[in-house]
Amino acid sequence: MSAGTLQITPRRTKLYRLFAFRFALLAGPGALFIAIALLLPLLSIVVFSFWRTESYELYADWNLDNYRVMLTEPAYRVFFLRSFFMALSVTLACLVISWPVAYFIAKHGGRYRLLLVLLLAAPFFTGVILRIAALQGLFGPIGLINMTLTEVGLPPIQMLMYTPLAAGIGLVYLYAPFMITAIYLSVINFNFELLEVAKINGAKPWRAFIEITWPLNWIGTAIGLVVVFIPCLASVVTQRFLGGTQSSSFGMSLAQQFGETGTWALGSAMGVALFVFSIAAIILIGRSINLKRSGFTGVINP
Amino acid sequence: MPNATLKLESVGKRFGPITAVDGIDLTIDRGEFFTLLGPSGSGKTTLLRIIAGLEPPDTGRVLIAGRDVTDLPPYGRDIGMVFQNFLLFPHKTVAENIVFPLRMQRVGRAKRDERLAWIIKLMHLDRLEGRYPNELSGGQQQRVALARGLIAEPELLLLDEPLANLDRELRSEMEVEIRRYQKELQIPFIYVTHNQEEALTMSDRIAVMRNGRFEQVGAKVEIYTNPGSAFVASFVGHANRLEGKLVEANGALGRMEWHGRSILVSCPEGAVAGAALQLSIKYEDLEIAPAGANGVGLQGRNQLPGKLRDIIFKGQTANYIVTLADGVEIIASATPRALSLRPEEAVVVHWPAGGGACFAG
Repeated sequence: MSAGTLQITPRRTKLYRLFAFRFALLAGPGALFIAIALLLPLLSIVVFSFWRTESYELYADWNLDNYRVMLTEPAYRVFFLRSFFMALSVTLACLVISWPVAYFIAKHGGRYRLLLVLLLAAPFFTGVILRIAALQGLFGPIGLINMTLTEVGLPPIQMLMYTPLAAGIGLVYLYAPFMITAIYLSVINFNFELLEVAKINGAKPWRAFIEITWPLNWIGTAIGLVVVFIPCLASVVTQRFLGGTQSSSFGMSLAQQFGETGTWALGSAMGVALFVFSIAAIILIGRSINLKRSGFTGVINP
Repeated sequence: MPNATLKLESVGKRFGPITAVDGIDLTIDRGEFFTLLGPSGSGKTTLLRIIAGLEPPDTGRVLIAGRDVTDLPPYGRDIGMVFQNFLLFPHKTVAENIVFPLRMQRVGRAKRDERLAWIIKLMHLDRLEGRYPNELSGGQQQRVALARGLIAEPELLLLDEPLANLDRELRSEMEVEIRRYQKELQIPFIYVTHNQEEALTMSDRIAVMRNGRFEQVGAKVEIYTNPGSAFVASFVGHANRLEGKLVEANGALGRMEWHGRSILVSCPEGAVAGAALQLSIKYEDLEIAPAGANGVGLQGRNQLPGKLRDIIFKGQTANYIVTLADGVEIIASATPRALSLRPEEAVVVHWPAGGGACFAG
């Protein structure tokens, strides 16, 4: 060691070990749970997707057949496109519904704000199946809407009875609260004074929204888009209860592989495809977020 | 009515039981630097927001450049505004923030760039165009806000305590700068502040506000040297307040009794013997001398003997705190070098007969 060079040796002091221990204690359980409950199953699905099933048994001979079947069999493509367009339209419908609601609660909710947000959780007091069944009771041939129409001598609305539209409405009903919450949490942190500034500087209200409100709440909106789009893509139950034959989704078909048909390997391949596509969608939406352009402070320290 | 850029006609605003702005009349001319000065809650910000169109008035009319804008939203008024907390758009760069008003007015790109270059040069914002607001210092942010407020050359620029969030040194620097922009562009500024020094440094005219009303409106020197009320006298400048009783009114001069001493004051109009009086004397209007040095020059002046308690050195001046015989304290300010007084020394505080501002209390 040459003279004048200061050698710094990190000291593993007692305090250092205490911090390390505390960190392990706090982060450990969560990390372990994620590893066991999320990563392992995911990994096993990836592995299964390259195996083979025969008469309800999995065989570990590696091949790409499952992917070939999935990509060439037209039925799967139809299921997938259906699910994709369903998820897309439900997400857009949720967006249109959620923005005004979230904005209203955040801006004009006053002291009822918290209560109103908690009310968004009210549907979760019962299970999904029950809520969907309730919608069935509303939309079905002898449901509230069509029965009333029939009673007064009007024809029932065919479009509501076991159609993709009915399934779409069901999904919007199920997922709008998530998007409202995501947008609300963003708008509540939005500085409304910036709108006054925009108006003084000549922006009409709609222009101020486009220039200021929308870009500054894009992160929250993007999160809302993701939390609606991804589960809708994989949705099973709603289509099964409300959608009729025209709504059979990718998720329904996937579930079938693990149930009735017992083709676990093909089901796994479908799962992997869904997962990859979802990740791609998240990346796509994520790329639209420019942290500097989001008004998100604390990224840059000049 | 030529030249009047802003005209307020009995503008009033109530919030529930509180009258925030109480029937204000005001005319502001082209090229004027006008300050609304008052303590918090005096209604000055509400009045500014009414002018901006952010708050509808309950009564009265607002005219900008001869046009009645009372019912117009802010975006129809052709004004600029600068806020205490800057309020730059955090997702836009400096350049985008500054040209925002021009974009809203659909000014073409070439013209926008030209104006941007001009204002950036004027405000010394070069090389900051591409930065985001959170990459700027407080002073830079406020200059950007000013540039945004001025780039479209509005009829009127409103400033709501724009320097309150800046540190002291920067503040006095900006005071001079803001006044320079105003004089250069000849756009009338309406400046709201509770800081009398700011008001005095920058303004042409000042309105002192209290409880939603104008206590006094006038040129700043007028407001300072000739306060129209006890409130203005205490709010603008630093003054001693002596409360006494008029013993004898004798034309313009009156004899006020104060703690057993008699002081010659200029009588407020209509005051009769026995009336309660408030005398307000600015620190710098009081002179102080060693007790022994009486005689020369003190004849015919009000004199209060006392003991020098402390000297608060302020740099250019010093405040001499004098305890009078009965424990009352009075403050005189003077150039510290001119006096070689020591604490505990016996002194005389004196000022011309009839000096200070005297009001019926």
